[in-house]
Amino acid sequence: MSDKNSILERLSRRDAQRLEKLQKAHKAREEVDASNENEDFFSGAFKIKSEYIEQLLSQVPTLEVSVLPSHFDNIKREVNELQKYVVTSSFFLKEFNMRKYLGIVQNLQSKCYELEDRYVPRKKFGFTKKKLPKSDSHKQNSIDDHDGVDKVDSNKWDEKFFGFDSQNGKVLLLENDDLFQRDVALRNLKNCTIGLKGVMGTLHLTNLDNCVILSGPVTSSVFVDKCTNCKIVAACQQLRMHTSNKCDIYLHVTSKGIVEDCSEIRTAPYNLRYDDLEKHFNMSSLDRNNNNWDSLDDFNWLAPDVPSPNWSILDAKDCVHDWTEWWSKVPS
Amino acid sequence: MGFLTILKKLRQKEKEMRILMLGLDNAGKTTILKRFNGEPIDTISPTLGFNIKTLEHRGYKLNIWDVGGQKSLRSYWKNYFESTDGVAWVVDSADARRLADCARELHSLLREERLAGATLLVLANKSDLPGALTLQEIREALDLDGIKTHHWRIIRCSAVTGENLLEGMDWMLDDIASRIFTLD
Ligand SMILES: Nc1nc2c(ncn2[C@@H]2O[C@H](COP(=O)(O)OP(=O)(O)OP(=O)(O)O)[C@@H](O)[C@H]2O)c(=O)[nH]1
Ligand SMILES: [Mg+2]
Repeated sequence: MSDKNSILERLSRRDAQRLEKLQKAHKAREEVDASNENEDFFSGAFKIKSEYIEQLLSQVPTLEVSVLPSHFDNIKREVNELQKYVVTSSFFLKEFNMRKYLGIVQNLQSKCYELEDRYVPRKKFGFTKKKLPKSDSHKQNSIDDHDGVDKVDSNKWDEKFFGFDSQNGKVLLLENDDLFQRDVALRNLKNCTIGLKGVMGTLHLTNLDNCVILSGPVTSSVFVDKCTNCKIVAACQQLRMHTSNKCDIYLHVTSKGIVEDCSEIRTAPYNLRYDDLEKHFNMSSLDRNNNNWDSLDDFNWLAPDVPSPNWSILDAKDCVHDWTEWWSKVPS
Repeated sequence: MGFLTILKKLRQKEKEMRILMLGLDNAGKTTILKRFNGEPIDTISPTLGFNIKTLEHRGYKLNIWDVGGQKSLRSYWKNYFESTDGVAWVVDSADARRLADCARELHSLLREERLAGATLLVLANKSDLPGALTLQEIREALDLDGIKTHHWRIIRCSAVTGENLLEGMDWMLDDIASRIFTLD
């Protein structure tokens, strides 16, 4: 009797499932029909908005220096809005188109940063103007050399991006499972504090200005590229630093760190503390007792017996000894 | 007898092969080499210059050159091209951001006259990482199907787990052997 009941129950459940599936399929078909309309509307609005941003960008060279900062703020706001528009429309955009639109937004964004670098003189760190233009203009050339197809292509993998991009004056935090053995990226950040409490596979820091990075253990490499005036607290197997200056690295590195096209880099021993740090070190299998923080290889300085002028050891009296307050405040 | 033929005869006797490992910095070249050789892999530093290892494998003597991939070193790669039988191009499968760079370097390498005829093995390394791209994605990004000048093959591998390293190397050895040791 109970057997029969349970069979009946199963059958009716199965029936309900089938019905549900049918309805879903039907609904999906409807949505596809509607999607063309939506997408037409979307692409029209996107075009207007992106052309407007292009226009704002093209005005930059003609504007007075005094109005530029607010002009750039305005552009960034517009770009962010456009990005949000694309992302919130993701439910009807096809994946391919989504990437295309995000690629265009990305290009607007990097154009904005390049122009800002070129036209807004940095008050605090005038030397960066002298140091960086070479690589900046190089980058720009290599972008301009390509046609539009390539531009989108270079952003083809953006959906794999995991981390923070294009922020100013924020305290940002990622924790634990989110990070585990991932390829984590922080890029285009200014005046931010970023906490990373977890075990990462690789950490990329690109184009950061006046930021504090508090990072748990990274199993393989930490990349630092085009960073200025940052404090980086990181533990890793290898540190690879490029085209950066005026950075202090509080470092635990089990093999070796290197610098290439860098200047005014200072190193100190890793001194971060947070609740799960020991656990994270164990998970990362980095050797806690093996730290070569005080010997970087400089790829631009191959004289073995003369020390590189591009990096030095940070005097203990100038070190930050306790990062506790930094988990919640941004750099001034 | 031309010089090349003599060279081939000589090598045939020794059954020696010269293999060049190249790729962007951080791809895992040195780690792969050490893993092959059964050495520890957790103390490897970024390569300033190059490493060379001579190994015996399946009756062949392999001279494997591992050259540093940092930007400032890439212009020196050409110093290692001469009489190379096989190129192992190592790719970091988790580094989507630099795949375009990687493709550019690879294709400029393949235009090198001195590497004409060398077998190309693309090692899609770090397959153990959760964010690793698929073989198909890498194959497309590197435009491997556009390569008509070299015998090539791509294989997913991991220097950390050792997955597929031998398989890849064996394919390359077979391909080279079928070319240089059967001329007589
Ligand atoms: N998860 C994982 N990490 C790997 C693998 N292979 C290498 N790594 C890590 O990647 C980082 C770079 O490895 P290296 O072998 O030094 O890279 P390389 O290609 O020799 O770099 P250069 O010498 O600068 O050209 C190290 O932290 C390795 O531990 C792999 O298969 N899986
Ligand atoms: Mg190396």
